Amino acid sequence: MKHNHAETGTIWHRWCENADKSPNAVAIVHWRAGQIPLRWTWGELVDTAKRYAAAAMSRGIKRGEVCGIISRHNPLFYPVYLGCVCAGAMPAVLAYQNPRLHPEKFREGLEGMGRRSGLDWILTERALESVLQPLLGNGRSTIKGLQFPFESNEYLAGVEFGSLGEAVSVMRASDPLLLQHSSGTTGLQKPVLLSHGTVLGHATQYAKFLAMSDADKIVSWLPLYHDMGLIAAFHLPLALGITTIQIDPFEWVVAPSLLLEAISAERATVTWLPNFAFSMMADKIKEEDLEGATLDSCRLLINCSEPVRPRDQEKFFQRFAPRGLKREALSSCYAMAETTFAVTQTPPGREPARLAVDPQLLSKGIASQVVNGGKAKICESSGELIPGCEIRIVDEESNDIEERRVGEVLIKTPWMFDGYRNYPEKTAAAIRDGWYMSGDYGFRSGNEIYIIGRKKDIVIVAGNNIYPEDVEAAINDLAGVIPGRTVAFGEEDIEFGSERLSVVVETPLTDQSEIKQLRTAILKAGMGIDVSITNVYLVPPRFLIKSSAGKPSRSANRDRVLRLNGSESTMQFGGVKDGLGRAEKSDPERVEA
Amino acid sequence: MVSDELKRVILNVLKLEAWEIADTTLAAEVPGWDSLSHINVVSAVERHFSVRFKNVEVLKLKNVGDLQRLVDSKLGKQP
Repeated sequence: MKHNHAETGTIWHRWCENADKSPNAVAIVHWRAGQIPLRWTWGELVDTAKRYAAAAMSRGIKRGEVCGIISRHNPLFYPVYLGCVCAGAMPAVLAYQNPRLHPEKFREGLEGMGRRSGLDWILTERALESVLQPLLGNGRSTIKGLQFPFESNEYLAGVEFGSLGEAVSVMRASDPLLLQHSSGTTGLQKPVLLSHGTVLGHATQYAKFLAMSDADKIVSWLPLYHDMGLIAAFHLPLALGITTIQIDPFEWVVAPSLLLEAISAERATVTWLPNFAFSMMADKIKEEDLEGATLDSCRLLINCSEPVRPRDQEKFFQRFAPRGLKREALSSCYAMAETTFAVTQTPPGREPARLAVDPQLLSKGIASQVVNGGKAKICESSGELIPGCEIRIVDEESNDIEERRVGEVLIKTPWMFDGYRNYPEKTAAAIRDGWYMSGDYGFRSGNEIYIIGRKKDIVIVAGNNIYPEDVEAAINDLAGVIPGRTVAFGEEDIEFGSERLSVVVETPLTDQSEIKQLRTAILKAGMGIDVSITNVYLVPPRFLIKSSAGKPSRSANRDRVLRLNGSESTMQFGGVKDGLGRAEKSDPERVEA
Repeated sequence: MVSDELKRVILNVLKLEAWEIADTTLAAEVPGWDSLSHINVVSAVERHFSVRFKNVEVLKLKNVGDLQRLVDSKLGKQP
């Protein structure tokens, strides 16, 4: 059943209620390495947001328009975002330009986004003005203008609050609140539209399941263009009126101990992390960077956004248990932007359930528990359904299947998205009879939901989705590559705790120096679309296995290459791995980047 | 100037056979040297030269020349 918006009100009104109730309470701690954190109280945050809203409206931003916000870790981001909401506009947080991405590519991405999902304004830093200016008036872009709200003195000068009351009074729970874009560079981004009522309803129910109270403090280093950062670590605490501590993602990835420093200093209680972060923090943080660090305040470290790998959680626990980490603080969640965020979650106060299953039977779609110490694969549960959410596990013909049988996960929640904006065909393809077809494979065991693979070809590297199509298109036209004969896929990296991006490329080249040049060109092509290709497999013509549609099959070729390299093959369910019998005849040259 | 020794450490950790690396080279200009692998490069440099960097020192690095100067300062070399 879709959420009843009348019961929730709007996000903006909730923020105002929080500010009225506790104007001096801290809403957001803006954390900066080596500096005193900046604290936004509720009163200051909402007042400043109103000024930004008035300024935005006086500069032409209208109700319902999409405002892409592009900034680095900036303390003014928060009132700018809240101000967009107050003005009735739709904020869409977009990634800052990565230096490895050519400005032209960066602009092309924004243009494409604008044409399909709609992008009316860009609110950004002055530093990006020269990069983004060519987007205006070129006849291809929908973008009406650039605004520079981070130059606050100039932007907020002479603000009139004239029409602010009207903008707020017409705001309804069913109004669109925000737009989230998935990653991707060739028009494959899917803009998820969420309403006020949906986000508020989800935050309320998820927080209840997590037993959140005024005693909780959220901490996060996650980028706010990612649903886990935006919904779980930003909207949820703001909706509840509890403090969120925001760390710069770029600082965290260079110095991961910053998270533990912030937890210790602020006595934070809850955070969400993709699996690779557990592995990275366990392996890479130096003991001398942990002086005074304690995790005893943490009651939930929630593993989400990529497949949970029990080994990494255990490694993290062993490393940080001496610093007060409680075993029951380790937790798992299954979430996606299309359901606002969480669908399943480990109930607080206990570890995620684990199941030791027969790996051979699992590859055939049967999760059979191993007894008597036989060879086993440990599957970790993503938790139990959050009340209101429903899940079906179905076979290829959409028939419900029994417990401990692997199938596609279909989801229905009261907090479903309002579709992919301006993509009715993609929305229709994703939802059938009210059920969102996740494209993930999983099984149910009692109340626990286990997610173990995916039907879709998306590669998830450190919580970021990469579309193989983008990578293949970037490589396809390179000299020395046989057109249409490239396959990109994800390859498990146990040490990294996530996937790495690999490509198999057919080439007629045999000269070693030309092969080296091609390999370099492939790595550069990846850099050009802001992805790091880790493994390059150069193979002779007619190596790749075609699918029944006549295109190279990603899963079959991944299996073939990994098998030839002695790596673990991917699992397939309910099907036969086609063509593998021919694989041994031609050896791929493995070139590691 | 970036030493051949530092170049070798960087290329080795990124599994690159050869790549032009100069003082002004940015991490983003080197294949495989992204935000996620940065910590591996820094750790490898620390191990190889038997030095330790503080978080704030690493966060201030803008290019390979800065990394070379940081290594040199830890080793007590004059600029």
